[in-house]
Amino acid sequence: MTTANFSWNRSTQEITSTIEKKLAHQKLGDEILISNIRLFIIFRWAIILGLILFQVISIVASDTLTQLGIKDQEDWPLAVTVILTIANIAYAYALDYCQPSKYNTPSTNIWVQIIIDLLCLSVVVHFVGSTETPAPFFYILHIALACIFFSTLESLFVTAIVSAMYSILLIIESGMFFQVPQSMLIDAHYSGEKLHKGHILVWMAALNTLFLTVWYVVSRLAIILRQHEQHLREAYEQIHQAQIAKDQYAMLMTHQLKAPLDAIRSKINLINGGYCGPVPTEIADVLERIDKRGSSMAKLILDVLRLERLKTAGRNLEAIDYVSISSIIDKCVEKLTPVANARQIELKLSVEDFRAHGIADQIEILIENIVSNAISYSHVGKSVEISSIVNKNQNTAVVSITDHGIGIEEKDLPNIFNEYFYSPRAVLHNQSSSGIGLSLVKIAAANNNLQLKVTSEPEVGTTFSITFTDIQQIEAH
Amino acid sequence: MTKKIAHIDDDPDIRDTVKRVLTMHGYQVDSYHTSSDFIHSLDDSEKVPDLAILDVMVESMDAGLTTYIKLHDRFPNMHAIFMTSLGDTILPYFENKSQEWVCILEKPVQPTVLLNIIQDRLGKAN
Repeated sequence: MTTANFSWNRSTQEITSTIEKKLAHQKLGDEILISNIRLFIIFRWAIILGLILFQVISIVASDTLTQLGIKDQEDWPLAVTVILTIANIAYAYALDYCQPSKYNTPSTNIWVQIIIDLLCLSVVVHFVGSTETPAPFFYILHIALACIFFSTLESLFVTAIVSAMYSILLIIESGMFFQVPQSMLIDAHYSGEKLHKGHILVWMAALNTLFLTVWYVVSRLAIILRQHEQHLREAYEQIHQAQIAKDQYAMLMTHQLKAPLDAIRSKINLINGGYCGPVPTEIADVLERIDKRGSSMAKLILDVLRLERLKTAGRNLEAIDYVSISSIIDKCVEKLTPVANARQIELKLSVEDFRAHGIADQIEILIENIVSNAISYSHVGKSVEISSIVNKNQNTAVVSITDHGIGIEEKDLPNIFNEYFYSPRAVLHNQSSSGIGLSLVKIAAANNNLQLKVTSEPEVGTTFSITFTDIQQIEAH
Repeated sequence: MTKKIAHIDDDPDIRDTVKRVLTMHGYQVDSYHTSSDFIHSLDDSEKVPDLAILDVMVESMDAGLTTYIKLHDRFPNMHAIFMTSLGDTILPYFENKSQEWVCILEKPVQPTVLLNIIQDRLGKAN
């Protein structure tokens, strides 16, 4: 007894059906903006939590904070916490509970977030220290995010807002134009001192230059990345078009190869049906043999087309759904019963129904080919058992197809899924094999993330087990 | 009353086979080499069939499918059968179309199967 496991992993991102053309300078699509808005909201909750924690510490351990140089706690942390909390709730509400409109778009949402965040940050910078602490550098984070999520022009606008806010803050604090109350400072070194105007101007020029430099560098990088993304989209579109052309060519070739065979076999059927008068038994036998070979060739031609289609179809996300395994098995059995009857093989079913996650057509191709093989390689008069068992705890299911036939030799087992693989023993038993059936099975399994296990013993039989790891259970009534 | 069947196929051997089988069972068969010949014939009410057997690749790769759409628009109750070498591999082209209306037969012509399907379809039409 030999057993082999086969598993083919494929990225679900391999095939995407919609191509949206965007220019490199445009901002990101709404889907990406929405997912990031949610991320920003979560991030903001963390900041709000930090501010609340800061306020609690300032109440219970005010002396410790004073020792660290932070004194005269005013009401700004509370005010910023309240503003950010209300704003955060409003962002989430607008995103999830309000109908999208001209004034409620993901882009507007993110713009409002940036403006309010910048205002709050300016308050923090003012109270913590606009030239004495690293607080103003947090403005850079907003510039970088704007470069990533917005167009170059919009991110420049955000940079201008940042520069304006910081400059105004410094002007107000330094009293260049009018006198304001002295701010609270973390660093005791400057405490109680009036800031020097020259010092302020150096900070203003330096940080504004830094803001512009960061905007230039990050927006350049964002443009390059978007251009690459655009090239990838165009390349994908070209591949997609090439695949369509290839499928049409494959269909045309299939038709051209199979049509003459069909004409010959139609004439044979006409003779065998008695439409051309009585046919001597010897001639009828010869015609039957010709038709059998023609049938094998016709099957091979169509299987090649199916193989090419499965390869190019890949994992088409649009076609994926939960499909009843019982209906798929019934369909295959209905189709293959005449073939089984011709070999006096009984198809025994013991199916526990479940819904498999995958592409119905491809799962059907997979099961049909395994059952068809089981019939072809069984000994005459035996049975083929098709069963499915659901593992309720693990939410998985296994479909098994067992035959009592010629089996597979140990040395052949690793190769059975290779295209056009022929085992001499198999050819002796079934001359009409195309050598493609199990290649179809392999690709369908890979496309649907299914695992296959093959257990076989020569002259005893073979069992193919298909493991479905993503299923919906069906309650028995 | 003799039922009229239109058969469109560019292969003379297939046209001949279908005609022989169906006429022998009492049907009146009009064979057409191209889809456009068939569509033009429909202007004559005498030529409108009870059932049409369409090939898929005749003048072009999808001429049969175009004919099917035109036919369905003009004669929504007329039955049509596709008989093609490509078999069910043309099924992906029938998205959002009634599976009841579409019937695909894979060539070669199998007289018994063809007759059973035609009798079944025309029985439903009656």
